[in-house]
Amino acid sequence: MRSDMLSSILSDLNGSSADIEASGVISTDGLMMAAELPAGMDEDRVGAMSAAMLSLGDRTSQELARGTLEQVLIKGENGYVVMTHAGSDAVVTVIAKSNAKLGLIFLDIKRAAESIAQLL
Amino acid sequence: MSDIHDFEALTRYAKSFTGLTAEREACLLDVSAQLKPMLGAVTDEFYARLSKIPETAPYLEGRLESLKKSHLAWIESLFTGPFDINCTELMYKVGDIHVKVNLPVEFMAGAMSMINNELISLVINEFSDDKEKMTLVLSSINSITSFSLFVMQQSYQESTVAEELDKFLKISGMSRVLFTNLANAYEN
Repeated sequence: MRSDMLSSILSDLNGSSADIEASGVISTDGLMMAAELPAGMDEDRVGAMSAAMLSLGDRTSQELARGTLEQVLIKGENGYVVMTHAGSDAVVTVIAKSNAKLGLIFLDIKRAAESIAQLL
Repeated sequence: MSDIHDFEALTRYAKSFTGLTAEREACLLDVSAQLKPMLGAVTDEFYARLSKIPETAPYLEGRLESLKKSHLAWIESLFTGPFDINCTELMYKVGDIHVKVNLPVEFMAGAMSMINNELISLVINEFSDDKEKMTLVLSSINSITSFSLFVMQQSYQESTVAEELDKFLKISGMSRVLFTNLANAYEN
């Protein structure tokens, strides 16, 4: 049931913008809880890597006196990866196109993360 | 080798490299009574030499007598056996202890070389009248000291990697569970 509800949130998130290519909810231990990923993308790797990036991001933010981490943003040649805490036990990862409107994406992610946090 | 050590596999692996055969194991037991009374002198000479090396001397300060006692027990065990997985496990733990006291890795190979030099002199002195026996004893001692070094170095390598990993996890804030899941995700 919860897995279906998580999938539903991710489905809405993916549908909110044509610029979002994939999304997933991952435990802080790096295990995938729900995912809307394109074929060919390894769920286990996406999950573990996302959690690892957020963990490093937490540490970096503290060490460099930036306070509590809000988000990790990776910008690549082919687009963005955005990772955000969804409560204390989960991470939401979104993969977006290179021409994505980040302001709108961040807003959609924030809303999705809040819904996920409430569900968990 | 993982956290749960397969000492049976390590024993087999070490013996295959070092040539510690059943014949050589039997030889070590055979010469035990003759050589054991002389091993105290080997230990003394070993530590006398170590004390003269500037890099090793600091590790001996205030601990010489207890180190000599442990060393003598170990060198006697080379002629006692059994040369089984318990022996392997013991040598593995010795390697781990060396890491924990931050002993540089080259000390193990250097020390074993010094010990072998002393034992070679001893064997030549005792068995020069019987070349065949002398050859067998020398090769048996070479096998058991090499076996000990092989296992200790294996342990040393694994303990060092484990320590480095602990440091990385502490610095990065990553949990061990997350690290394991990350490693598993990239196993294939």
